[in-house]
Amino acid sequence: MNCAECKELLVGYVEGFLDDSRMRAVAEHLRGCSSCRGQVQEIEGLRERLVTNGKALAGSDLENGVMNRIIREQKIQLKAQGGPGEAPNIWRIIMKSTITKLAVAAAILIAVGIGFHFIGNPLGATVTFAEVIEPILNARTVILDLIIGDEETGPVMHEIVVGPRMRRTISNMENMIHIIDLESGNMLLLDTEEQTAVYVDIQGSVQERTRSYVEFLRKMIVKVQDNYEKLGEQEIDGQKAIGFVARGPNEEVKVWADPETALPIRIELRLGQIFVILKNFQFDAPIDDSLISMDVPSGYTLKQTDFDLGNANEQDFIESLRIWAEVILDGTFPEAIGTENAMKQIPLLTEKIGQMNIPEDEASQLGMGFAKGMLFHQILETQGRWQYTGGGVQLGNADKVIFRYQPEGSENYRVIYGDLHVEDVAPENLPR
Amino acid sequence: MSETDEYYVGRCLDGHPDDFRYLLRRYQAVLLAHLAGKLGNKEAAEETAQESLVRAYFKMGTLKKPESFFCWLLGIADHVVKEHQRREQIRRQREVLRSFSEEAPKPEFSQDYALEAAIAELPEAYRKVILLRYYGEHSCNQIAERLDMPLGTVTKTLSRAYAILRTSLQQQHKELNEV
Repeated sequence: MNCAECKELLVGYVEGFLDDSRMRAVAEHLRGCSSCRGQVQEIEGLRERLVTNGKALAGSDLENGVMNRIIREQKIQLKAQGGPGEAPNIWRIIMKSTITKLAVAAAILIAVGIGFHFIGNPLGATVTFAEVIEPILNARTVILDLIIGDEETGPVMHEIVVGPRMRRTISNMENMIHIIDLESGNMLLLDTEEQTAVYVDIQGSVQERTRSYVEFLRKMIVKVQDNYEKLGEQEIDGQKAIGFVARGPNEEVKVWADPETALPIRIELRLGQIFVILKNFQFDAPIDDSLISMDVPSGYTLKQTDFDLGNANEQDFIESLRIWAEVILDGTFPEAIGTENAMKQIPLLTEKIGQMNIPEDEASQLGMGFAKGMLFHQILETQGRWQYTGGGVQLGNADKVIFRYQPEGSENYRVIYGDLHVEDVAPENLPR
Repeated sequence: MSETDEYYVGRCLDGHPDDFRYLLRRYQAVLLAHLAGKLGNKEAAEETAQESLVRAYFKMGTLKKPESFFCWLLGIADHVVKEHQRREQIRRQREVLRSFSEEAPKPEFSQDYALEAAIAELPEAYRKVILLRYYGEHSCNQIAERLDMPLGTVTKTLSRAYAILRTSLQQQHKELNEV
């Protein structure tokens, strides 16, 4: 080996990334060449300088300064968004993951039936309560805000309803648009940030429930046309309003309306164990067809999925209980279930799925599985013939009953245990 | 701390701001060396490093390839440096107007400014390899992975970077002695 060849290899020699034979060859040359030895010393000196400087800089205290600033600026940004607490940010972050978006969208879909029941056939009845309801039932288009659960903390869904079509956006999820067509049982999800579109099948239970909601409201009005209750006048959202309340065996509807125009200002619904608030109504506003088009907008990429949220059954529900206990809560069933609770669990579900390190399609199946099971439960939720007793029960406990319900038209109850096996039980044999 | 950059980027985006610490620890020295060389002043390097990291955190959603976090971060830092230099220039102009005689306070140089300046002058590919090797404590294999280049290219680049650095440091030394 001559000096020129050796010099090429000296950095590798000092750094130790030469193979054995070249390592030996360089060492041999160095023994007999003081010039190259001098080069090695120089390289070692430079290396030492680099390493020392690197260590010195690594010891700088940037970390606390940076982390404090991040936390501080995040808070300021949150305040600027006008949302309470940290919730808006959590939603915003969640919305960055496509899988979770779909899962959340699915959970939100739970409310689909509720948002729709305004559009039905004109009633023709001329009772006072129905008069107030009349513009809702007859309007060609309705724009409104809908909140499930707590008005202070629940995300607000802004809905534009035109016949069987609706367009829904949700506060703090500014990048997601849901366009729902109840005629074909299809939903188009648009992600405006990534410009992607997804179709989700919602045929079956959602459509049926929509019909049943319309039916529910009609029955309600018929039932209360003689015995609705007047709540008198009150100020609602800064407006003078006259109130009515109609009660069914398992539901309650409060309507606050403008005493002069009879147009509703605010409606509060209790359907079984779901609370819904509807407000900020606009009737018969002109709405551009493109807003409720089921076509993929130009510039958007359509993503293929096999998500089907229609016809959720008991098996789907059991799967969602399993996901809730196993994935979300590390082996214990939740204190309470239901739409509002399920929606609140989504951030945690996302986090846990993220930690599982599983392929994207498995992850999205988990998210969708959770949503689908909860759709099944929502049907029960509005009927009230169910009881959840799983709070704190360990997944796998075959002795503890976690859920019981009476299916439509059935004498017997279905009883689900902590190990998720199901028994068909006659009413007289129900476990205490 | 052994997880990939992609992992931590994902964690941050999923709502775990605290995991940004790991990325910060991994690249703090790299960033400081990069900036100190360009700015020639320790305090300014720390200030711009902090600004760059905070910006990187809030812009993370726009990072298309999480695996290239390192190069992306240097890009942000370069931008911050430009802004800083523009501000500095204006400040100096004002100072000159205010008082001719008053001497500006001497900037506090970092521990081995000559070296950092020489690194800052390296062509980009060489600079990245040197920064990752000695300030990011990456092995040659890890550098190959991070910069998506064959291992042979990394070792050649490193050797060449040494040669350029030595020449440039010798040059600096000579100039200093001539003054």
